[in-house]
Amino acid sequence: MKTPLPKRIWGWFARTGVGKSIFRVGLPQSNLERSQAMVSSFLLHVQPAKVNRHSLRASYSLGLGLISLYLFFILIGTGVLLMFYYVPSTTQAYDRMKDLQFVVSAGLVIRNMHRWAAHLMVLFVMLHMCRVFYTGAYKHPREFNWVIGVLLFLTTLGLSFTGYLLPWDQLAFWAITVGTNIAGYAPFIGPKLKFLMLGGNVVGQEALTRFYALHVIVLPAAAGLMVAVHLWRVRKDGGLSRPETVGGSVQTMPQGQLPTNKSYGLMELARGTTPQVGRDPDDEVFSWPHLIFRELLLFLLVIAFVLFLAVFWNAPLEEMANAIHPPNPAKAPWYFLGLQELVSYSAFWGGVVVPALLVTALALLPYLDRGRRGTGRWFARERAMANTIFSVCLAVAVALTIIGTVFRGPNWSWVVPWRTPPAITEGR
Amino acid sequence: MNPQSNDKDGVSRRGFFQLSLGWIAGSLAAAATAAAVVRFLVPNVLFEPGQRFKAGTPDDYPDGSITFLEDERVFLVRRGNSFRCLSAVCTHLGCTVNRAAKGYHCPCHGSVFNEEGAVEGGPAPRALTWFLVTLSKDNRLLVDKGQVVEPDKYLVL
Repeated sequence: MKTPLPKRIWGWFARTGVGKSIFRVGLPQSNLERSQAMVSSFLLHVQPAKVNRHSLRASYSLGLGLISLYLFFILIGTGVLLMFYYVPSTTQAYDRMKDLQFVVSAGLVIRNMHRWAAHLMVLFVMLHMCRVFYTGAYKHPREFNWVIGVLLFLTTLGLSFTGYLLPWDQLAFWAITVGTNIAGYAPFIGPKLKFLMLGGNVVGQEALTRFYALHVIVLPAAAGLMVAVHLWRVRKDGGLSRPETVGGSVQTMPQGQLPTNKSYGLMELARGTTPQVGRDPDDEVFSWPHLIFRELLLFLLVIAFVLFLAVFWNAPLEEMANAIHPPNPAKAPWYFLGLQELVSYSAFWGGVVVPALLVTALALLPYLDRGRRGTGRWFARERAMANTIFSVCLAVAVALTIIGTVFRGPNWSWVVPWRTPPAITEGR
Repeated sequence: MNPQSNDKDGVSRRGFFQLSLGWIAGSLAAAATAAAVVRFLVPNVLFEPGQRFKAGTPDDYPDGSITFLEDERVFLVRRGNSFRCLSAVCTHLGCTVNRAAKGYHCPCHGSVFNEEGAVEGGPAPRALTWFLVTLSKDNRLLVDKGQVVEPDKYLVL
């Protein structure tokens, strides 16, 4: 009987040693090979050879950070594709969007995927922050990783802001106008900052070029670098946070003093803090296949969901940018509507002071809340105070967003969504 | 004192100067680079429409009219023989205000201005600006958006 083709190809790979030259370890058969498969692969060595069972529990992490990362990957992939057609010019950009929608094969779906993945990424980065807060995961030794997380959150918002400007539709034009004017309210440097952002006094070609450069290289590169550091620190700080009672918890030991009853592979060495071994070895499982399988499954789910959204719902594209008539009401995407509601009371207080205070408070949080207890559990009783304060802030943000989204009509006046808004009388 | 002698912390005078020089030179280089990059990003030439424009003859505007000039985002106000020009750019966050039955409304965040451009409500921090209107030699209204004037300054013909 003839050997099937795949098997013959595989056999050739094995006989000639080509396979071994690429993949040092074949499909792992033993525990040793399971470790080697992780450590010897460039793409997999970012992750540990063994992982704590607690970290795999979906009910603990909810996979939110991983989902954000996958959305970032999808955004890079679809974004690079969009760059092949998009032209950052005030006269061409909008037409190119129409081309992508109606002329380019699969252009519509790729643009939809990009937009929906962007919305989802903002949402999941926010949810991830909430998860880390409610489980006290930002506590020692993960303080600085929380700060990087805050920077990643801001970069995500910056990416989505610079992104929805590029189609040069009404949303884009008025978002730049309002956004740069908010920057103009910053103390001392405001007007200069606004001029620098726009590359001039008016919203036009210079501004579009600048936001394009920020969107396609500056911010993604910054985000990519910070993601790498973020993940690196997760490893170095002993994996995901977990309660003190769970085996293999992190313990700090003096530098250079490792227990002598265990031999350490290079990948397991961490400065100052190392995963403690020997207390409950049964609580760790091999990353191959337990972690890898879960990650692949989650990736499939994320990409399937984004594709599902992209096939059935089209990304919004408003009318062509018109410097004379702002749409009425002129609304930002949902994640900025809380801010827009604040700005409608006072541009300086709502647009500059409150956001600056919030970001400062978020960044300083792990250095202010220094208690060591209550890490690794959802809504730990010891953290009732911190959780309450955070929940109140969160509730206010959600309430402002809901008000801005559904309770504001033309001229940003109060409307009740289940009633038709009164007709506006405008003389011209 | 011997210039090579060590102080309490074990840093020699020469070592201190070498270290200071290194840090100062490094900081200066970094600051100069940063300054050059920021300056590079500030454009020296702007390809923007000019601030001054001609708005047609006085007869184009009937008595008592308030006319929106789209391209310039201003309202031209005629009352009797007096002419004024009001900016349509909201002082809050730069949206274009609409003419309402009385005064002006901003659609973005709900600022309300009266006929004189003064703030009646909403988040706008300042009144709408009035621009200088003059008459050119060829009998055209000449508006200079670079020159802000008080609301009670008219061009009277």
